[in-house]
Amino acid sequence: MTSLIKDPLLWILLVVLAAAVLAVLRARRTNLALRRTRKDLEARLGQTQGRIGQLEAHIDTLDTRHRGELADVRADAESATKAVLKSAMGTLQSLAEEQQLLLDQLLKKYGNDSEVLADLMSVDHTGSQFGRRAKGISVLCGGWLGRREGAATVYDVTRSAQGRIKDFNRVSIHAQASVAVVGKAVEPVAVVLAELLDNATTYSAPGTPVEVNIQAVPTGVCFIVDDAGLGMDQETKDRAAALLSADGPVDITGLGDPPRFGFAVCGMLANRYGFHVSVGSVSPYGGVRAVIRVPESLLSADVVAPAEPEQQEPVEAGQEDAPQRLAPVPVGPSRVVGTTSGGLPKRRRRQGPIAVVPSPPDPAALEEETSESSGEVTASRLGAFARGTQLGRTTNTTEGPDHQ
Amino acid sequence: MTGPGEESPVTSDFVRSYVITGGRSLPSSDELALHTLVTLAPGRTLPLGAGPEVRAIWELCSGGYLSVAEVAGHLGLPVGVARLLLTDLSEQGHLLRRAEPPRAQNVDRATLEKVLNGLQSLIG
Repeated sequence: MTSLIKDPLLWILLVVLAAAVLAVLRARRTNLALRRTRKDLEARLGQTQGRIGQLEAHIDTLDTRHRGELADVRADAESATKAVLKSAMGTLQSLAEEQQLLLDQLLKKYGNDSEVLADLMSVDHTGSQFGRRAKGISVLCGGWLGRREGAATVYDVTRSAQGRIKDFNRVSIHAQASVAVVGKAVEPVAVVLAELLDNATTYSAPGTPVEVNIQAVPTGVCFIVDDAGLGMDQETKDRAAALLSADGPVDITGLGDPPRFGFAVCGMLANRYGFHVSVGSVSPYGGVRAVIRVPESLLSADVVAPAEPEQQEPVEAGQEDAPQRLAPVPVGPSRVVGTTSGGLPKRRRRQGPIAVVPSPPDPAALEEETSESSGEVTASRLGAFARGTQLGRTTNTTEGPDHQ
Repeated sequence: MTGPGEESPVTSDFVRSYVITGGRSLPSSDELALHTLVTLAPGRTLPLGAGPEVRAIWELCSGGYLSVAEVAGHLGLPVGVARLLLTDLSEQGHLLRRAEPPRAQNVDRATLEKVLNGLQSLIG
């Protein structure tokens, strides 16, 4: 037994055992503590995750509210801008119209002086372009173009549109249809066509022609604008198609800087008045082909006779007084019937008066006169002669200063 | 948005005169004076592709002599524009023109007195 006690191996064993027991105990305690901590941590993680979820939901609601409010503010700003622009453009529009009316008078007043007339015309040309821009912006802001009284032929609508762009003399018109556009659609179609012509002339080389073909189709009439430019890339086509088919208000701040109003104006007007504009196809010259299709509901035939295309401008249609014209007189350029003994040309006495001015309210007299059948004719002719000479005298006196 | 009823009427000339002339330079007023009389030459047919203004001139001038000023007045166009269209037609041989009649000369007082005396001696 003592030997056992004295055996160092036993002591070592005991010590090791004790150490092992201690180690196990400590490990267990640590284990327990760790488990507790873990449970604790897990609980806290759960809480945190829950809170994160809540926060995320909150952020989402805030975000949607923010987006909604931002959209509202944008819409408000847009409509405020539009309202301001609309009234400003309205003023410019009426000033442009006033200027054109004034120029109409001036052109007639100084019509006899070709130099002044040419200068006035160039002023008129810039004025027309200015008016078109103002109208375009006004339309985008919800404004109106102004209404023309009476229908206008498709040919005149095209010429009017032609006059509103810079390079108007590059445009040639081929009208195969002879219908008229009703009064309310005259300005819109002219403005849209002007925008298309402006695009066509701007995006093609300076010398190249731009052609407008007007053709009747079963559903109405088509204005086909062809240019010889480089055509449009897919992005521009998509943008144009989107703007042309837009059926709501247009975001004017999204039109670029400098803003490109053209297609937006076309889309807006086409949508408002019920005609159709497309620009997707390729022209025979390799450029862009743009087409305006005006439906039958916006056309009328009352201005033009079916066989005779584009007889008169609508402006003149209102003033259909019988023109004071001179009746035909049988006088040729030379009335020499022989020579006198002295070698001078012998002339026959004039058979009738040069100027026979029939009284305006009696157009029937003119027809009778040409048939030359009754004595009444002679009387009327004498009277007319008197009136004619009277007219001649007054004309001479009133226009005297011109010759000074 | 305002209703279509609020649209203000537009009354300026729809087709501007520089489009009618096609931007060409205008003939001087010596070419066809205001009082020059024009009429359609006999047996002419309307040129193909004539615009509304040329048609109107054709119709106006087919009835007999009209002065350049009258043509412009009826068309509602500035005289210079009407003159350009008339010059075109005239160059194509569609128009006959006749110069304005010479203006009456002012006669001096002595001559008038002689005439008066002569008449008085005849009548009285």
